[in-house]
Amino acid sequence: MTVTSKHMERALGRGKPFLILAALGVGAAGCTSFSSYDPGARAPSPAETITPPGFPPATSTARPQNADPAAPRGQASLPVASAEPRSTPPKVRQENAASAVLLEQSRDERAAGSYAAATASIERALRIEPNNPALWIELAEVKAAVGDFDQAEMMARKALTLAGSDRSITARAERLLSR
Amino acid sequence: MSRRRGPIRRIVRVLGYGLALALAGVLVYSAYLTWAITSEFDARGWDRPAQVYAAPLELYGGRGLSVADLTQELVRLGYRQVVGPLATGTFRRDRNTLEIRRRAFAYEGNATPEETLRIRFADDAIASIADDAGRVVAIAELDPLLIGSIFPTHGEDRIIVGPEDVPELLIDALKAVEDRRFDEHLGIDLRAVARAALVNLRSGEIRQGGSTLTQQLVRSYFLSTERTWTRKFSEALMAVALELRHDKDELLLAYVNEIYLGQDGMRAIHGFGLASRFYFGKPLTELELHEVALLIAIVRGPSYYDPRRNPERALKRRNLVLEQMRDLGLIDEQALAASRARKLEVITAAGRHAAYYASFLDLVRRQLQRDYADDVLEATGLKIYTTLDPTIQASAEEALVAELERLQPDRPELEGAVIVTNPHNAEVRALVGSRRVGYDGFNRALDAKRQVGSLIKPVVYLAALESGRHSLATEVDDAPIIVPLEGGKTWLPANFNNEAHGLVTVVRALAESLNLATVHLGLDVGLAPVADALARLGADETPALYPSLLLGAIDLTPLEVAQVYNTLANGGFRVPLTAVRAVVDADGNTLQRYALNIEQVSDPVSVYALNQGLVQVMERGTGRTAQRALPSGLRTAGKTGTSDELRDSWFAGFSSDHLVVTWVGNDANEVVGLTGGTGAAQIWARIFGKLDAVAYDPPPPAHAETMWIDYYTGLETDSGCTDAVLIALTAYDAPPKAASCGSTRTTVGSRVRQWFRERRE
Repeated sequence: MTVTSKHMERALGRGKPFLILAALGVGAAGCTSFSSYDPGARAPSPAETITPPGFPPATSTARPQNADPAAPRGQASLPVASAEPRSTPPKVRQENAASAVLLEQSRDERAAGSYAAATASIERALRIEPNNPALWIELAEVKAAVGDFDQAEMMARKALTLAGSDRSITARAERLLSR
Repeated sequence: MSRRRGPIRRIVRVLGYGLALALAGVLVYSAYLTWAITSEFDARGWDRPAQVYAAPLELYGGRGLSVADLTQELVRLGYRQVVGPLATGTFRRDRNTLEIRRRAFAYEGNATPEETLRIRFADDAIASIADDAGRVVAIAELDPLLIGSIFPTHGEDRIIVGPEDVPELLIDALKAVEDRRFDEHLGIDLRAVARAALVNLRSGEIRQGGSTLTQQLVRSYFLSTERTWTRKFSEALMAVALELRHDKDELLLAYVNEIYLGQDGMRAIHGFGLASRFYFGKPLTELELHEVALLIAIVRGPSYYDPRRNPERALKRRNLVLEQMRDLGLIDEQALAASRARKLEVITAAGRHAAYYASFLDLVRRQLQRDYADDVLEATGLKIYTTLDPTIQASAEEALVAELERLQPDRPELEGAVIVTNPHNAEVRALVGSRRVGYDGFNRALDAKRQVGSLIKPVVYLAALESGRHSLATEVDDAPIIVPLEGGKTWLPANFNNEAHGLVTVVRALAESLNLATVHLGLDVGLAPVADALARLGADETPALYPSLLLGAIDLTPLEVAQVYNTLANGGFRVPLTAVRAVVDADGNTLQRYALNIEQVSDPVSVYALNQGLVQVMERGTGRTAQRALPSGLRTAGKTGTSDELRDSWFAGFSSDHLVVTWVGNDANEVVGLTGGTGAAQIWARIFGKLDAVAYDPPPPAHAETMWIDYYTGLETDSGCTDAVLIALTAYDAPPKAASCGSTRTTVGSRVRQWFRERRE
């Protein structure tokens, strides 16, 4: 669960001043520190956070990126977004049916192994709801699925900065970052 | 006898040789001409430009888009409003509902069929969308706007049409007017030449040309207009050569794509596809009879029959074309009468300008050249899907042009640049490189390296926050300072108003852009960390480490500034600015998708804290005039920039979903007498006011603490107090609240410093 300094180095690139800081933060373990690269500190275990998707059915004229619309839905082992409201919701465009449909579509595409299509669908949803951490964490998981662990980590971090106190997001991010 | 015959024989022999030689010469010359024309024809055939598309407009319930907005967008796409039944590319309005017969289109290689969309509006937003069968549609797109066709390796604009895009009537009319025996002749038509000569002689003006379509095509390839017999001969020969090698359909299609049909400034309009856009703003397939007739009329003399400059002449010739079509039975009397009654209906110059995205296409071309090998870009029929938002582009152009016009009197020639991005994916939504929009030329958004002035300050403050030595609540001395430089020189920075304010909070120093405080702060943090922060945020080059860097003595292009601020607006995640989403080849295969690629380059808490400071710039500091011009409740973060002696006026500011960077200055770097606030900020506010922007109000990242402090003292205070500002702290143990507004015993700043001392020891 601990974020290693290797992770930080990768995350920060040339961020030397911050490296020093981060080291300080790690040194002061247990304190609220300047380092936010320790997202797992308060995260619940992953098991708590799996809830079924709660998106309303709707037809979509979304681009047919998935050749087989009857592709299997995400399995239970697949991490899915929590439908419960965030306790401190950021002021973004409210829960958006279009982005929800695109998220669903992306999951279908991902389940069918069409990762490029799944990526495109999520990116399209992000244009509608850029501040929705559920979309970022989904994209992070797609990146991890195709072996792009650098981007998976970065996108998990991005999700964390937007997650507020949404525990399901932080848990999913934590799981990715602990790999 | 034999001696007498000798000279005659010799003469005959010489003549014979001469004739044979001449014949051989003609043959060689013909062979050369044949080679020249066929190789030219083949080259043209393959040399198809890439078609460049704007981002498609996404329609979904909840999107802030009024009936008027969508109508405008549809008109831009060449859709026509109708009252009766819907045809492809038309729409009708019934109070709060728009019904659109959306064209079929392909996007990023995926085909979307033609369909009817019923869009219901409520309160200037889309309430719901339904299809023909009444089913709810969650999200739909309009066909993307074709913004140009470019040869990515050289720059020429053309819209190549295929056989399926050319209306039958256009072909028939072309033959009727220009070349009646096209289907029979072999490249030249002697009868037509004779008839034309006769007609012209009788009427006393040039009413008919004797050239076949094939000859015209040859002429267009070689761009020679001299009227000599050699040229006529070469032209005829080449025409015959083409006819022997290619069938009539191929030649007609080449003609339709090649022929010169007008001039737009420096840009030549070749081909009916581009001409249709240029004169009518819609695709060739959707032209009406009178519009087809006008294009045919223009063929004879694009300048002489220019419908914008010589409308009467053009109208007269258009009607003549219509009559000829009637004479040949292509149209009946009724159609003739109806079409004759129509006006020219060409789109206005304003609409035309908005239709040529010179500056943005420049960025697209450069990014393609950076990311692709030349041979990939030279492939035929590429489709390039870009990030341009035509609505934002139009409003950015309008704002720059109008504001510069307003500011211009009593100043050297003003120029400007605008860049609009989406911070989260770094897509460039609009780009203006000059107040002369719609023309190729010096692209200031990409190429003008200008001094950034105070625009650098957020980088200094970010370095300070990252260092852990400062927070927004700590104090910094806004006092005169003598900075020793190399070689025994000194630097004496001063505040804009030449006053010093003594101890001020960091948030106030940033908001009011105090130079002395910033120099003190930056020297405390060190120049290297500041330069390092600038590089991490995305500036292309590492600056020299002179103290004047702290006040922005560094030249950056607006694009570089946009990259730096985009990283700030994106919470410290750097994403390379991009204008291209995907490139698809002629067979619909995606050559490359530009997948989102992000990199965290700063600590999110420091960036969050900095951005709260930039919100104070807008609320209380140098950006407040711009903020007040925005709709109330639209919280933004931003910064002004002014270079030495008021030569450059900058503004960079963002909401949750848009970043806009504006620059105003003079090309010769003369003093323009504008601060960031009086110049660039005005343009910025005008653009931002029209964006359907979401307020900048991100959730605090994990481990960030927010609190209310007094703007002037840095003490914790109550949110209800007059000078209370919400800041974020990177490290903080909750201090006791101040008893009343604006007073307490210990400052938050001192507590933060104390916290650090404890941890270091």
